[in-house]
Amino acid sequence: MSKRVDPKFNPALTSYNDLSQKDKELVEDAIRTGYSRRSVLKLLAATGVTLATAQNLLSTGGSAMAATPKKGGSLIMSSNLHGPDDQLDPALFTSTIDYTRGRATYNSLTQLGNDLAPQPELATEFLPNDDASEWTFKIRQGVKFHDGSTLTADDVVYSMRRHQGEASKSVIKSIMATVKEWKKTGEYEVKAILESPNADLPVLLGLFQSKIIKVDSDGGGNGTGPFKMDSFEPGVKSVHSRNADYWREGANLDAIEITAITDPVARVNALLSGDVQLATQIDPKAIRQVESTDGVSLSSIPAGLYMGICALKNASPGENDDFVKGLQYIQDRERIVSKILKGHGTVGNDQPIMSAHGADFCSELPQREYDPDKAKFHFKKAGISSAELYAAPVVAGVVDACLLAQANCAKIGFDLQVKRVPTDGYWGAVWMKEPLNTVTWNMRPTANSQLAIQFAPGAAWNDTFWNNDRMGELLKTSLSELDPAKRHAMYCEMQTLVHENSGMVIPAHVNILDGINDKVKGMPTVPLGQLGGCEWPEFAWLDA
Amino acid sequence: MMMKMVLRRILIGIGTLWVVSVLVFIGTSILPGDVAQIILGQSATPETLAALRAELGMDRPWFVRYFDWLGNLVTGDLGTSKAGGASISSLIAGRLGNTMFLAGIVAAISIPISVALGLLAAMYPGTWLDRIVTFATLSLISVPEFFIATFMVLILAVQLHWLPAIAYLSGNESGWQLARALAMPVITLVIVVSAQMIRMTRAGILNVMNSPYIEMAILKGVPRRRIILRHALFNAIGPIVNVIALNLAYLVSGVVIVETIFAYPGLAKLMIDGVQTRDLPLVQACAIIFCATYVVLILIADIASILSNPRLRQPK
Repeated sequence: MSKRVDPKFNPALTSYNDLSQKDKELVEDAIRTGYSRRSVLKLLAATGVTLATAQNLLSTGGSAMAATPKKGGSLIMSSNLHGPDDQLDPALFTSTIDYTRGRATYNSLTQLGNDLAPQPELATEFLPNDDASEWTFKIRQGVKFHDGSTLTADDVVYSMRRHQGEASKSVIKSIMATVKEWKKTGEYEVKAILESPNADLPVLLGLFQSKIIKVDSDGGGNGTGPFKMDSFEPGVKSVHSRNADYWREGANLDAIEITAITDPVARVNALLSGDVQLATQIDPKAIRQVESTDGVSLSSIPAGLYMGICALKNASPGENDDFVKGLQYIQDRERIVSKILKGHGTVGNDQPIMSAHGADFCSELPQREYDPDKAKFHFKKAGISSAELYAAPVVAGVVDACLLAQANCAKIGFDLQVKRVPTDGYWGAVWMKEPLNTVTWNMRPTANSQLAIQFAPGAAWNDTFWNNDRMGELLKTSLSELDPAKRHAMYCEMQTLVHENSGMVIPAHVNILDGINDKVKGMPTVPLGQLGGCEWPEFAWLDA
Repeated sequence: MMMKMVLRRILIGIGTLWVVSVLVFIGTSILPGDVAQIILGQSATPETLAALRAELGMDRPWFVRYFDWLGNLVTGDLGTSKAGGASISSLIAGRLGNTMFLAGIVAAISIPISVALGLLAAMYPGTWLDRIVTFATLSLISVPEFFIATFMVLILAVQLHWLPAIAYLSGNESGWQLARALAMPVITLVIVVSAQMIRMTRAGILNVMNSPYIEMAILKGVPRRRIILRHALFNAIGPIVNVIALNLAYLVSGVVIVETIFAYPGLAKLMIDGVQTRDLPLVQACAIIFCATYVVLILIADIASILSNPRLRQPK
């Protein structure tokens, strides 16, 4: 956890530290928004950080972004997966390569910093009413789409409404269901009327899919973003060139190419030989190779992505609380992090929130340790002596962790059979069906969404079928709680509930591992995805 | 007579293609999971699944979909990719071009080399030249191509930085850059396909060399060189052409490992991507193209054998 990057480092503003007149205006703009937000959002825990970030920027010396970005140059980024299903429609984005293209091509209303606090992007201000049941967004003026047309509230309302309604195929449809209605209240003002209060709405608007596209389009590469799209071949590559008419300073690089090399060995080789400058998802086996090669570095960012075992609470053996306790105590967490993840992970505490989630993380909750005696006790109390666990390599190290648990179970006389299955078709055929199965969840931008997606009673992806009324109540009330201390207490109670009562075993969180050529500087470290939450296109620069 | 034979072969070819189309369709229809499930992955809900399935027309029985598909296929319409919504013909066109380009270069290099080396080895069997060729080809046949490819990348790209590690085509490179980008996949494939063709050329000719008429020629005092080039080669051409045809077909359909290791955007890799996303129309189209390639190349090889060997023109 000590490796966590400076929470005040803010990628949204890094390129403005040399404070030209234009830059000054932008920084002042950011500060202004910070203050105006503070007046209303003093309730929000994150505000202090946001303000500090902005002030940090004004005192030019003290910030983390010491080096001045250089302009020019181009680079090639290789993701790990692509195919004919590559998208330009933000609502359908599902992969790193889509997210990165989206980040280069489009903008969102808000932008998430490294500390996950929302910063102004296309919205210059975002203000809630008294109980956060309505949010008003002031839209930035003079922003141009790549086709030359001007951004207005119509584009924003259209883009946001695409996530709503029966027919919507949006990936974040369920998340955006928090908004009842998007209303245009002026040429450059939009209002969101919520189903129920949600203080986290500005964070959700910084998600990969919440991009603003031209009204009556499906994206198609016409955005307001820092790069214009020159070419796009699904499953091959896309080429982007710097948008000279960008509404702020904009990209440092002249051009970027985004492709994928699906073979992990080939991807690392391409990084080592300098054929690509950014490579996502370095295979744990290749860590040493990357670290020992001059000119490239491994980027390892602690994040909420985790490996887990779901014990279904509506089936045997997971319905037995003692069985789940036994399975939790048999996890040798330290060893999983140090040996299986080679140190590139964080010990898990059987609940999905961790330090990267910021203030909502309950560090007071005692860490569950490896304790074979307690495991033996609980297995015995449960009266269960064997179980079958379906393990698919859904995330780095999870199958090895299952095999380690199997070996440790054998030592205490418990027969844990690990049935290895491929990831192909896993989510439809095994997950949420077999009583014991492996799972992974990407990090969500807020603790609330991370908990709600899996642990809200009756949620579509409640993958342990654990329905707890108190949990449901807290998930709702915490969203309108504006007092930081009370809010934290609520989040602590929720994390304790999951830790104690659900069927979820979370031995470890997995760091985001990427390979970066040493010439590439200015990489953000937003923990929501590969390569700094895919935020790099606007901020990366080449130190030739 | 000749025409009738060729026509028969063509009809058999079409029949083979039809059987394959049924097999491919059934095979891809009973794969576990479905496109909607794979597209949505972990984030699938019953509602989104139903919506996507209906949109993809997957609620109809498979035989109805088969005849729809076959009808479209015969009229040249390969359908729309279920995953990306792009037309499959447009997806395939570029990839097929890339694959053919790579296969063409490899064929142009490997066929002359193989036939020449095979002939040389057959002309002087038992000499040091023959031994070297035999030893080298046997070794290379035994080494899998991913090993050759990975080894070359490690040496030539990662250690020496002479060649790029991936065959990444940006579309506007000069001839020299293109040659550099393609060098390693081409060398790998040339090694893989040549070894087999050399062995078969040598074996085919030596086989003919045992026949009575060659013995007669030897007894007449014809020089060995002349015997091979004049008498043996034409009788051995049937098997040689068949091996060449098989290797060419392999270059179109079987190079997936090489395409993956060098991230070369060819057709085989497109098919793998299609399998991963359960993009059935795409997988089916690729499978049919690969099968058609085999059928056409074998057909050509058969016709070449018939032309080179009058005995084959008479049905027994």
